[in-house]
Amino acid sequence: MIKILAACGAGINSSHQIKTAIEEEMKKRGHKVQVDAVVIKDINEAMMKQYDIFTPISKTKFSFDITIPTVEAGPILYRMAAMADPVFDELESVIKKLNK
Amino acid sequence: MLEKIIEFANMIFDPLIALGAAPMMFILLTIFALLMRVKVGRALEGGLKLAIALTGIGAVIDMLTGEFAPALEDFVLATGIELNITDVGWAPLATITWGSAYTLFFLLILVVINLVMLVINKTNTLDVDIFNFWHLSIIGLLVMYYSNNLLLATLLVTMLGVMKFINADAMKPTFNDLLDMPESNPTTTTHLNFMLNPVIMLFDKFFEKVLPFLDKYDFDAAWLNEKIGFWGSKFAIGIYLGAFVGILGQQSPQAIFSLAFIGGVSLELFSIVGTWFISAMEPISQGITDFMGKRLKGRKFNIGIDWPFVAARAEMWAAANIIAPIMLIIALFLPGNEILPLGGIIAIGLTPALLVVCRGKIMRMILIGAFMVPIFLWSGTAIAPFVTDTAASVGASPAGIEEGALITHSTLEGPVEKFLGILVGQAGEDFSIGPVLTALGAIAAYILLFIWYIRQMKKRNKVYKEEKENEAEAV
Repeated sequence: MIKILAACGAGINSSHQIKTAIEEEMKKRGHKVQVDAVVIKDINEAMMKQYDIFTPISKTKFSFDITIPTVEAGPILYRMAAMADPVFDELESVIKKLNK
Repeated sequence: MLEKIIEFANMIFDPLIALGAAPMMFILLTIFALLMRVKVGRALEGGLKLAIALTGIGAVIDMLTGEFAPALEDFVLATGIELNITDVGWAPLATITWGSAYTLFFLLILVVINLVMLVINKTNTLDVDIFNFWHLSIIGLLVMYYSNNLLLATLLVTMLGVMKFINADAMKPTFNDLLDMPESNPTTTTHLNFMLNPVIMLFDKFFEKVLPFLDKYDFDAAWLNEKIGFWGSKFAIGIYLGAFVGILGQQSPQAIFSLAFIGGVSLELFSIVGTWFISAMEPISQGITDFMGKRLKGRKFNIGIDWPFVAARAEMWAAANIIAPIMLIIALFLPGNEILPLGGIIAIGLTPALLVVCRGKIMRMILIGAFMVPIFLWSGTAIAPFVTDTAASVGASPAGIEEGALITHSTLEGPVEKFLGILVGQAGEDFSIGPVLTALGAIAAYILLFIWYIRQMKKRNKVYKEEKENEAEAV
């Protein structure tokens, strides 16, 4: 099971849209993933370590280094398949590399 | 003619309204989604989720206000500070607004306006943030609360909608700069909170001219946020405020704990129920985007999404965290304020706009933010009777508490627009000369300030463009 951390501003709207979209699409592609949605400001180093992949809505700076693979997931919110697909493709290739 | 239409609408809507908000919106949202060619199952899923969200938010409001109302009364008696309005934050207000059939009507109008503006090249922004249409709807509902005049409400919503799309284009280069996005990235936002930019820009110009040395004191926001940690999270804030009300209201230790935990759990539950009803809007958002996309093939767009992509900038949170205690103090002493900040105390209806106008200069963000707080508190106070009535009409009204208890959202996006809504509504009540002139004057001032702001943004965007060109030449 690959654990993914989705993050957005309020932890209410965007990150949940990203969560739903990733879970649906990865299921379709035959990968087992679990996505949690949180507020960016609540993320700390300990929380980040519990996940395999980080999918923020946009480029994010923290006071610590991110050690897990990061896939920017903002384009999922455009709701257009042509723009969301590259994100899903990148995510899938990261999942395959992790080989869990 | 208009009367006939309204009569006809009433004939259809009255029996629906009589069912109560949750069943009515279940039926209407499902039908609306089907019209947008959403599959039956998905359409039903959306409708049902909206109904349970409406029901759920009512239950949480009941719990919060039911527990807090008696303690707040004692608080007033003990301190003499009259802060009777309970601040429930954004989620209940969004839910209440989506509980009104008119929200679907305003949504339809705004989708048409967006489409028309795109076709005639007055904007490049395609708005896919369907969920947040409630921000403009609530202003329309406010006009109707005072005047019962749908036409006036529609006109004001239309005007603000047009300005919002123009603003979304104007802000795009700033987003690219702040978030290090390449030109090819289409992200922008049409969120109402950025309509506060013109007012913030007035202050920002003042700081630039008079207090430029302040920028030297900017600090590392990411570091601060990490230090604050869970102490700044939703449940922690609920706990502080519960304890605060309990202690100043001279309650028993048992009651103080109880208020603290109720405060904490309510804030957490509001956002959880909030997520239900955002997912309720999911099918229809996709339906509308597909519908618009099909009609505008081959066009290059900016895409307007919700604001949270700017939250990647730590300054936004640092400013929100620091403004929170400042707001509490201002609320205690501000004449004309009746809100005790709770659900809205982390001012995310304010700090994204501060970030965009001040471009991350944190000292300016905090100071200007502090000056904005009274506008929000006054606006939140002014709309409280309307919010409470509307909540009652959609069945999310607090039960079992004193008559006259009011709810509101202390940092609801668009405080200036709320006043416009009230003024326009009052003018439409009987069209007497005084209120009409006041409303017209306010709208004129609002538009002039906006025009000035857009000019400033165009200057800024020109500089961005020149910088890019210089960089390209240097390479």
